Amino acid sequence: MTELGWTSVADLARLIGTKQVSPVEVVRACLDRITALDGTLRTFITVCAEPALQAAHAALARVLAGETLGPLDGVPIGLKDLFDTAGVRTTAGSRILADRVPGTDATVVTRLTGAGAIVLGKLNMHEFAYGPLGRNAHYGDTVNPWDAGRPRVPGGSSSGSGAAVAAGLVPAALGSDTGGSIRMPASLCGVTGLKPTYGRVSRAGVLPLAWTMDHVGPMARTAEDCALLLGAMAGYDPGDASTSVLPVPDYARALSGSIAGVRVGVLRQGFLDASAADVAAGVEAAARMLQSLGAKTDDAAIEQMEHVPAAAFAIVASEALAYHAGWLKSRPADYQPDVRERLQAAAFVTGAQYVRAQQTRALIRDAVDEALRHRDLLLAPATPITAPALDETHADIRGERVSVTAAMIRLTRPFNLSGHPVCAVPCGFTAEGLPIGMQIIGRPFDEVTVLRVADAYQRATDWHRRRPPLAS
Amino acid sequence: MEKVTIETMRAMMRLAGFEWSDAELEALRPLVETNLRLLDRLEAASPRTIDPSTQYRLF
Repeated sequence: MTELGWTSVADLARLIGTKQVSPVEVVRACLDRITALDGTLRTFITVCAEPALQAAHAALARVLAGETLGPLDGVPIGLKDLFDTAGVRTTAGSRILADRVPGTDATVVTRLTGAGAIVLGKLNMHEFAYGPLGRNAHYGDTVNPWDAGRPRVPGGSSSGSGAAVAAGLVPAALGSDTGGSIRMPASLCGVTGLKPTYGRVSRAGVLPLAWTMDHVGPMARTAEDCALLLGAMAGYDPGDASTSVLPVPDYARALSGSIAGVRVGVLRQGFLDASAADVAAGVEAAARMLQSLGAKTDDAAIEQMEHVPAAAFAIVASEALAYHAGWLKSRPADYQPDVRERLQAAAFVTGAQYVRAQQTRALIRDAVDEALRHRDLLLAPATPITAPALDETHADIRGERVSVTAAMIRLTRPFNLSGHPVCAVPCGFTAEGLPIGMQIIGRPFDEVTVLRVADAYQRATDWHRRRPPLAS
Repeated sequence: MEKVTIETMRAMMRLAGFEWSDAELEALRPLVETNLRLLDRLEAASPRTIDPSTQYRLF
């Protein structure tokens, strides 16, 4: 198998544009890796081999004709299987939608293919995006390519996206993030994932979990690749009333490598002190690295954190039930058990409790703003633990026995409530060889600074370049 | 918070239009009780007069 599977989006676009590599060769290399590895990893629900090869030949024709190329021309991407794709089934990882074939593409799919990207296939996920582990009873559990001797969860709900990028099956993928579903698999699989500001990227044509908490974003091996994809995806969309009319910056061009003077608050209370010791050590080391690159760091805290679990639960559960109520009545047996149980529990949340949760959310949003009042960024672990084994239900965090499911979303969902942009970046490995991820949290619509710091960190470190044992 | 009974759960479930067995409700009860304890704390957390934030600020 060639090195093309490990080549970044930025390098692929450059190599294709300068005729050093054919997009057909790139797509074939990815398909070869999927054939060789995906029987074990189960990252794809649908592989679009023939359409992808046709698109690659069309991209090659544009290159050879000397046409102006899109920024992603000839670059293959994967889509979490809740992004609508015209003529290609979009299942949301469910049995209920197993045969659903949309007539049109989601807005972000239209924008990415308009920039030249080639859709390689639809990626596995936790059923209906309602779970943090990435389990799927219908299409099989995606396996984390970082196994450390035992099969491990990839994190969810964008499990296929994280594992496929980590294993070099595709250079980039799209995920969605309602409580951390981009950042958790990025952390557990050792890749880079960006949850943009709420309103920065359209959700039109993306199957919802909870409308007021859902975010859409890229997952790739580098922050630079995330910047390239975000630049093609972001911007106002009349199909999504929540999108902003703010102009879209050139994110990739803003990656100067310089972070001198950037003010970074390190979140200790409720974040570092709520994480396993090796995870906290990895993030502390990253803070020191940022300092050595010119950033100014200090300790930061977010008030109201104790109310995050209740507010997030009431909002996500109520909105998810509103979407699923019909199927929960007519086809309850077609849900996998953990998702059905979460939806059933939602039936006992009242309207007044939902509104109270949205009121609390305003306080949480203000608390994050306050932590950023005199800082450009905040730094925190992405997940308090590294990838658990498939059969592990509880973890030990500094002597406290906690449910893996509850622990997983603890540090990510505050920023779904607040809507701030966050990039999850690999920042180390445990002694047993599992990736550690950190979150770089920015001010609203300031993805430029978030990505600039993530990119500068990756220029100085090599955590994101390491290859997992199950992908060789 | 008072203990949640199966009768209460049955009534709420039917109001919402669902038909689940008592065995299912019994299995759900610990989760529902945990969730309601969490939600009770929100009553004290936020002033009643604050505007609900249904989505992030838009520009």
